[in-house]
Amino acid sequence: MPELFRSAAYRIAFIYSAAFALAILLLGLILFWTMHLDFTRQLDATLEEEASTLKVEYRNDGRGELADAIAQREASTLRERLLYAVYSRDGRRVMGSLRTGVPRLGLHDITFVDPREGPDAARGLAVDLGDGAKLLVAADRERIEQIDRTVISVFGAAFLLVVLLGAVGALFLGGYLRRRLNGISSAAEAIVQGDMASRMPVSARGDEFDRLSRSLNAMLERIASLVDNVRQVSTDVAHDLRTPLARLRNRLEEALRSGATGDVALIEDSLRGVDEVLALFAAILRIAEVEGGKIRRTFKTVDVSALASDLAESYAPAVAQGGRSLTANVANGLRVRGDAELLAQALVNLIENAQSHTPLGTAIEICVEARQGAIMLAVADNGPGVPAEDRERIVERFVRLERSRSTPGHGLGLNLVSAIAALHGGVLRFADNRPGLRAFLELPADPEEG
Amino acid sequence: MQILLAEDDVETAEFVARGLGELGHNVLRAADGADALHYAMTEDCDLIVLDRMLPKLDGLAVLRRLRAAKIETPVLLLTALGRIEDRVEGLEAGADDYLIKPFAFSELAARLNALRRRRPFQETPTQILAGRLKMDLLTRQVWRDGQIVPLQPREFRLLEELMRNNDRVVTRTMLLERVWGFHFDPQTNIVETHISRLRAKLNRGGAPDAIETLRGVGYRVRDDA
Repeated sequence: MPELFRSAAYRIAFIYSAAFALAILLLGLILFWTMHLDFTRQLDATLEEEASTLKVEYRNDGRGELADAIAQREASTLRERLLYAVYSRDGRRVMGSLRTGVPRLGLHDITFVDPREGPDAARGLAVDLGDGAKLLVAADRERIEQIDRTVISVFGAAFLLVVLLGAVGALFLGGYLRRRLNGISSAAEAIVQGDMASRMPVSARGDEFDRLSRSLNAMLERIASLVDNVRQVSTDVAHDLRTPLARLRNRLEEALRSGATGDVALIEDSLRGVDEVLALFAAILRIAEVEGGKIRRTFKTVDVSALASDLAESYAPAVAQGGRSLTANVANGLRVRGDAELLAQALVNLIENAQSHTPLGTAIEICVEARQGAIMLAVADNGPGVPAEDRERIVERFVRLERSRSTPGHGLGLNLVSAIAALHGGVLRFADNRPGLRAFLELPADPEEG
Repeated sequence: MQILLAEDDVETAEFVARGLGELGHNVLRAADGADALHYAMTEDCDLIVLDRMLPKLDGLAVLRRLRAAKIETPVLLLTALGRIEDRVEGLEAGADDYLIKPFAFSELAARLNALRRRRPFQETPTQILAGRLKMDLLTRQVWRDGQIVPLQPREFRLLEELMRNNDRVVTRTMLLERVWGFHFDPQTNIVETHISRLRAKLNRGGAPDAIETLRGVGYRVRDDA
């Protein structure tokens, strides 16, 4: 039993049925008292009527008539017959067969001796006949007691039934709730035990439990994908670090072999290797920072049109030197809420990405435009493009499309761009530029603008 | 020059102290924040290199107390934290420059050299002279040997940064930060291409090179060029 009460489901069900039983009990008590009082009043009225009838008879026709009237009434076989007694001034019973002590005047409960049943309770009314004699008219309480008994037994039975049904219902309901909740908690325990594929049970009913299960399952999916991502990243980091570190080790070993002469070129080479590793770490940390979202607190209004034009101007010579061209096609005065430097870095990464994955002679264009309430920062090229099925994959961490695995860069550039887009409430997308690839940040316009 | 070096990592401190010593500076070392604050308050230092995370009293707290005590010695904050908000916090606390670990010693040396000249009492000039170059900051014009050299705004900013640090090395990252506002390292060397365009304009007519490149370190405008 204490086990049952530790369960909230059982406790709630029991409390609910107890409240219902209590309501029945209360209703029974109220009914009992109103009926009891009502019948007593009716009885009192009958007694008063009878007493005044007899009193009138006594006054008009005298003692003999009263005695006759009483004897006649006592001889009746009606069930509702009343009981009578007349006492003389000195307290002797002179008429009637009601055996009880000399009563006070007025209405009250009395006890009398029933010739068949012994002592019994009755309702009595004593009146003064005028000459010191007293008339007592009484009614056996039997009738009221019978009605009381009926009411009590009906409601007692109802109460017991309610308690019984309530208890059974509570057990049933509690068991049901427990079963539904147990499904969820055992799934959660399975996950704690390490079964990450376990999910909350969802029935076809679509009730509150199913909604809860579905939300929990959605949450678990999200967590699982994050965990997968982290696992993937740590594997990739380890993998991508091994290559430059292995090269570095080779160079250092070579430097050691070349002796104390100190091969400057080898040392410079090694430093470059170390810088490569450090750049990879810096990129990972930067992405983590951007994904953390704290930078939003320092967001300001950024004129992305000016920012993009400025970048195009800065980059055009360097891109030209690399054998490609960079032009700008920028609509004026477009603004977003954000971090100017991060937005610049996103565009720089897209420009560098376009540069390193296209052949010489490719034309690269920076576009800024407003479209359907969003602001598009695009870097488009007319190079070979990326097949539709690969476009989603290029954002994934470290995923460089196979054929470009040999080009320099740590492969995190687009992840950072994607994280920056998300930080600004936007998204990084890729589209076919016919020909070429069009990478664009779709950002919400500054809400403070009209 | 007397430089206070507040750094708790022994290896980093040795590395920096050795390098600064080789450059002829006198290095005062503090291994925790309390010592750093004490030296900074009592010794006559020209520069302070302050690690952000120090035992006893962290670097930012030291910096805030110094600035509250009206000690305006230039401070270069060193940090292992590369987050954007940390940099903002550091500069707000009163740092004059900010360098993220790990760093190349040449970068630190160049930044310290640049800091020494940025004293607050320095008057703001309207003209800068460096060798045979003259720059007017109000009209934004540049002359070489009295001949006007037309420059684009970005090239002007680049040359201004170099001329303000006349005869001292300015590193690539310093230029990225100050001319472009980039605190990240793009793969494309935009500094290099802009320097070469600037150089081409300045050296027109076979004049000797006005901007010297120090390989792997940075650039310098020579006083004698």
